[in-house]
Amino acid sequence: MVFQLLWGGNVLKSFDTDTVFDVNAIVSHVLFTVLFDEVRYVHTIAELQSVERAAKGKADIVLGHVQVLGLPEHRALMETAFVYGVKYQFVLTTGGPVLTNMGVEDISSLTAGLWFLHCKGASQSQHSDPCPHTALRRALTTLHIYTFLQLMEAPLVVRSQSEASVEPSEVNMVHSHLQVPLLFLFSQPHTVALDRVTAQTLAWRLRGQVGLVLIHRESPDVKIPLEYNAAYRLPGEGSEVKYLILNNLEEVIDLFRDESTPEEEEDDDNWATLDVLDDEVAESVYRDRGQSLDMDAVTELTADIFHSAVAESDYTVVLFYVKWDAVSMAFMQSYIEVSESLEDADVSDVELAVLDCGEWTDVCSAQKISFFPTVRLYRPQEPSQPYQGMLGTESLNRFIMLSRLVSPVLLSSPDEVTSFLKGDLYQRHAAIAPVTVLGLFSSTADAGVSVFKEAAKALRGETMVGLFADRQAEIWAVEYSVTLPAILVSRGPTGQTEAHSLNLSMPDQLVTHIQRALLDTFPELTVENLPLYLELKKQLLVLFVGEEERGRKENRVLEDMRSLLNTGLINPYLPCWIHLGRTPAGKAVLEAYLGFLPLLPALVVSQLATGGEVFHYPTGRPLMVQPILQWLQRVEDGEEPPTGVIVDEKWMPSMPFYDFLSVMDQEVPGYASQRSAKTKTSRIERAEGEKSSSGERQARAGAHNPQGSPTTKPPQTPHHHSEL
Amino acid sequence: MDSPILLLLALLIALIQCFPDDYHSHNSTRHHDYCVLGAGPAGLQMGHFLSKSQRDYIILERNSGPGSFFNIYPRHRKLISINKIYTGRRNREFNLRHDWNSLLSDRPDLLLQRVSRELYPDADSFPRYLSMYVKELGLKVQYGVDIGKIRASESESPRGRGYILTDQRGLDYTCRVLLVSTGLWDPQKVQFEGSDLVEGYESIPVDPEEYKDQAVLILGKGNSAFETAQSILGRASRIHLYSPSPVRLAWQTHYVGDLRAVNNELLDTYQLKSLDGLVEGGLEDIAIVRNGEDEKKRSGRKKKCRSSGKEKRGKLFLTLSELLDSSDGRNSSKVTATNLPVYHNDNFSLRQPYDRVIRCLGFRFNFSIFDGSARPPSSEGARGRLPGVTAWYEGRGTPDLFVLGTAAHSRDYRSSAGGFIHGFRYTVRAVHRVLELRYHSNSWPAIKLSISQLQSWLLRRVNEASGPYQMFGVLGDIILLRGSHCEYLEEFPLQALPQFSSLSGHQLSKHGLLVLVLQYGLNRTDSLGPGRAESEWTRAWRSNFLHPVLYYYDKLPTERDMRHRPVGWPLPRPKAVHHMIEDFLTEWDGPISHSQPLRRFLEHCLHTDLRAFYAESCFRFSLTNQKPPLFCRQGYLRKHGVVRNSQLWQHAHDAGLMPGGQDSASPDTDPSFPDYLTRAGTSVSSAINLDF
Repeated sequence: MVFQLLWGGNVLKSFDTDTVFDVNAIVSHVLFTVLFDEVRYVHTIAELQSVERAAKGKADIVLGHVQVLGLPEHRALMETAFVYGVKYQFVLTTGGPVLTNMGVEDISSLTAGLWFLHCKGASQSQHSDPCPHTALRRALTTLHIYTFLQLMEAPLVVRSQSEASVEPSEVNMVHSHLQVPLLFLFSQPHTVALDRVTAQTLAWRLRGQVGLVLIHRESPDVKIPLEYNAAYRLPGEGSEVKYLILNNLEEVIDLFRDESTPEEEEDDDNWATLDVLDDEVAESVYRDRGQSLDMDAVTELTADIFHSAVAESDYTVVLFYVKWDAVSMAFMQSYIEVSESLEDADVSDVELAVLDCGEWTDVCSAQKISFFPTVRLYRPQEPSQPYQGMLGTESLNRFIMLSRLVSPVLLSSPDEVTSFLKGDLYQRHAAIAPVTVLGLFSSTADAGVSVFKEAAKALRGETMVGLFADRQAEIWAVEYSVTLPAILVSRGPTGQTEAHSLNLSMPDQLVTHIQRALLDTFPELTVENLPLYLELKKQLLVLFVGEEERGRKENRVLEDMRSLLNTGLINPYLPCWIHLGRTPAGKAVLEAYLGFLPLLPALVVSQLATGGEVFHYPTGRPLMVQPILQWLQRVEDGEEPPTGVIVDEKWMPSMPFYDFLSVMDQEVPGYASQRSAKTKTSRIERAEGEKSSSGERQARAGAHNPQGSPTTKPPQTPHHHSEL
Repeated sequence: MDSPILLLLALLIALIQCFPDDYHSHNSTRHHDYCVLGAGPAGLQMGHFLSKSQRDYIILERNSGPGSFFNIYPRHRKLISINKIYTGRRNREFNLRHDWNSLLSDRPDLLLQRVSRELYPDADSFPRYLSMYVKELGLKVQYGVDIGKIRASESESPRGRGYILTDQRGLDYTCRVLLVSTGLWDPQKVQFEGSDLVEGYESIPVDPEEYKDQAVLILGKGNSAFETAQSILGRASRIHLYSPSPVRLAWQTHYVGDLRAVNNELLDTYQLKSLDGLVEGGLEDIAIVRNGEDEKKRSGRKKKCRSSGKEKRGKLFLTLSELLDSSDGRNSSKVTATNLPVYHNDNFSLRQPYDRVIRCLGFRFNFSIFDGSARPPSSEGARGRLPGVTAWYEGRGTPDLFVLGTAAHSRDYRSSAGGFIHGFRYTVRAVHRVLELRYHSNSWPAIKLSISQLQSWLLRRVNEASGPYQMFGVLGDIILLRGSHCEYLEEFPLQALPQFSSLSGHQLSKHGLLVLVLQYGLNRTDSLGPGRAESEWTRAWRSNFLHPVLYYYDKLPTERDMRHRPVGWPLPRPKAVHHMIEDFLTEWDGPISHSQPLRRFLEHCLHTDLRAFYAESCFRFSLTNQKPPLFCRQGYLRKHGVVRNSQLWQHAHDAGLMPGGQDSASPDTDPSFPDYLTRAGTSVSSAINLDF
């Protein structure tokens, strides 16, 4: 079983039942997803209708209206959406025709409202009919909404038929817990059918306010005075059952209309204090707040020791951070791990240090830190080197290990070159960075050598770079049929080695050139390397490979793809693959592309950079060169229907902001308004604290009155003038 | 004799105009780009900035050392500016929030605490500190130059007019820009009948013994009045403070120029009815009379017993000028009973005679040295005691003449700290930035930031910046929004916002701007009463204490907008405003109360999602959206994504999928689902209502 959250037809998130086995898990997952895009905003009746159509037979809709965003009602609504987003379709409107549609007469007076649209039970065939709805008739608070939604879930009419011995005073159902009044109707055996209809009608009218129970009189244990046909019980411990004679429906409805309005207003706020972080990084760091970081593993620098510390070690890596930056604090954990792992690996020439820019602000200003977190490598007598890789343990570790190697490594003999390319020369490094680059020059006198050295310096920490400048370099030039100068890119002992002629220009151009050469022609896309390949701005021809596919089958499929590559006919594409086991995020991508999880392996064209359409290679068709090429041709010719689109939506704020201005305008009218030209002068004077007018001064002059209070003195005393 | 000098001058000016960058060679002829008048704290502060930017400047000082005001004042030798040397923090910028005496410099140890460790240092330590400041920064100060006359140079030129300063020896100094930091030296006096019988704060004896058993009337209710009262509290028999307005307490008004608690012991003795008191009344229509003959019968004998040398002095009475009979009324010999208020009003508060009447009414700017052509007008505020200046502290009607320091306080009189060292050290810096643009085309320093960094940067400023903290409501940081990046300018004078581009050299883009200001709140509640502090962030706009406020404008406010700004606001009504809830510890770094509401506000202004995402999420967004969220674009897609903790990742893999409930201690357990939220519905996380 799979839970899916749908939005605009796209699967945003799906999770297996075994990951949502308990309420906490469901709530935690849903809450976040909901914040993304689960709440829909509608402005017109047509928009609402389309939401209704989509929901019919599937889910009920909770329609909320708040006139002003940011008020407690809005918050209560959003909080409910966090909790119930998966169960109901939440729709928000800010007024207008939609409200009229819900039967609101005076739109402007309604500041907030909530309706439950019973779409789940509605038939899909009745396309245009609106779903029946129930309005929440109380203030929008989390508690009220919660109660209301519970009531919506409760059966419309509870029948006590089966439970023989039921007295109204003993009836105990969800409504009692929810502090909702109960209405009992007593049915006669011969009027059962009719009573049911009455009960139904009444229940619809009172839905959300009152629980309705149909009790059968025939049961011998039920001792209800015969003259009554109805009874009700108000919420609260030990409240009595009141019997009455029901003549018409309106009577009953009026009864509850009066009873249900004046209720607990004082405990509104207890529920409305939920401030949920909707930033996954901030939230995860916040949740970790109980855990104190083991800062012993790193050196905490101060302004006093910064310069001496970075001069002391051969390599000092410094993490510049501020405590209030969640990304810094999330990365701090990985950083400490790297430090520990370096210690375990007995790497003694590298010092990992941190510097709190919130405290040592001078150092950070002097170091021109304008990005948090920033990681830099300091070496004595060298300019510091920024770390520009992923903020994760593996990347950083690789950077540090590679940085300890001189770049370029100067190779002196053909044997060394061979062992360098095989990765034997620096085995420990080759293990973490199998791809190496070797520059081949015919002589050290070559002008390009210095450019290459510059480029190699810039690549330090990123890739292992070797340099062989000797006449014997010709051996490889011949072997790979390139002309010198050239670079060889070796992809480790099992991988291939490719050769590229060098077009030597400026060091930074050469750096880009080498970086491009390092890219795989048929890469496995991972979370870490995707940005490198997206830079190529090509359409992606992605093969999604399942997690259980290992070994031979996987290899065979990949081999087929490789041979496709060798045809040279798929240049506009970047052929690549994603292993859903190693890169679980790929699953969500695939679902977003197709709307479902297809059989694997699945081949997909993703026009990420162009047009934004997605095409799925038909399941079942063999993944072989010819059929694929034909299919690609059809895609290009526009003969294949796209199976999905890559949305091109602006990332608007996930939540509305708290509009202080409108709150001010509401609570203290005029406080936040520009003053008019007329009031200007007098107010400015007051604002600047001036005691200007002589009249005022004179009035005070006589008031030689230290007590200042007129009550302590006879009224005539303050003014001496009058007594003269 | 005169004409050759004039000729030379004219020639010089001509030369300067031709070779603008060449005239330091003419220093010997006393021409400078910048003349700073007065080597007090403001002058020296400006000196530092001019020296740092290697400008041709001279500081002219009439006395033989810097800060000579402090050789005399405060008379009772205790500075009331806070010198808090232990803050528990090592952040230099933050610590300046609690160091009100030091000047700004690049040297971390050039602070007053090197001279004094006292919270309220001895006044002598301040000139000593200034001398050290001059010496260590090598500032060019010329002592013993007493400028008696300042006039604008007649020759109009495209580069501005320039000023000519004449000293006591008749020597002229010419300068292109004149920076007046002369402070306030002239005691503020009020003329009334008998005002010659009044002693001034500037000359009263400071030995309390001189006041033994004397009744003293002090005119004024400011810090100098209370300082005087406090020093004689143990000796004087009765101290009355008299002035038009009631006492304003600095801790209530948040204005440090109002009565500081350091000096307010008299409030205690007043309220506990121990013979001292405060009285409100106008100053212009009172009169002080000495009773000549009457004195003998009432207190003459007593007086002769005294050891002090004032046996000749008669008692002084406070009366109203209208009670005196025409012109001869004030002659001491002619004072009659009907001339005194008590005759008409038997319980008149100030009916008892005084031994001394002391004027403690503060100081005023010395306008007299300015020739008409160079004289800034009197300020509209501050009872006209100060020169009127523009929002960028240029004299009104005196281009190229700027007023610095205490004399420039008319801009924020009784509202902020611009009249005090801890405030004007920042306005001086702002003025220097204006000068750098206007005369040297160096625009206001700005830091370029990625938009994804803006929130962190704002929090950084909010948590440490001393300029906006001290100059609340007056100086604010300006953030120019430019799409995916922004430019951050620090401490711009808010009232000059309509002239922003011409003063800063930065242009606005269509994305608009943010202004970060620190300000006190509505202040309508009892400062010590219940409900004085807010803790719920949604009520931040009702914060009473100093708290950060962000204003968002889509275009620059005009002068008209500025004039019509809401009452009590530093800025006009913006498109959107965000108040960050006041914080008891002034640490604005709470994820729920501070960061997230701020982020939502920024998101609103920037129309974009500013949340941070882990690399995994960015991976997904990058493949499923043509344009992933900003954070992913500025981080992940630049190969700088945030990878989640690998140990927890590994742990989760080993254990199979481990949703949050099982292992609540380490939320980051499940790799495929970042540990989002489990707090829904059940627990309540905020609203810890601390009482301050």
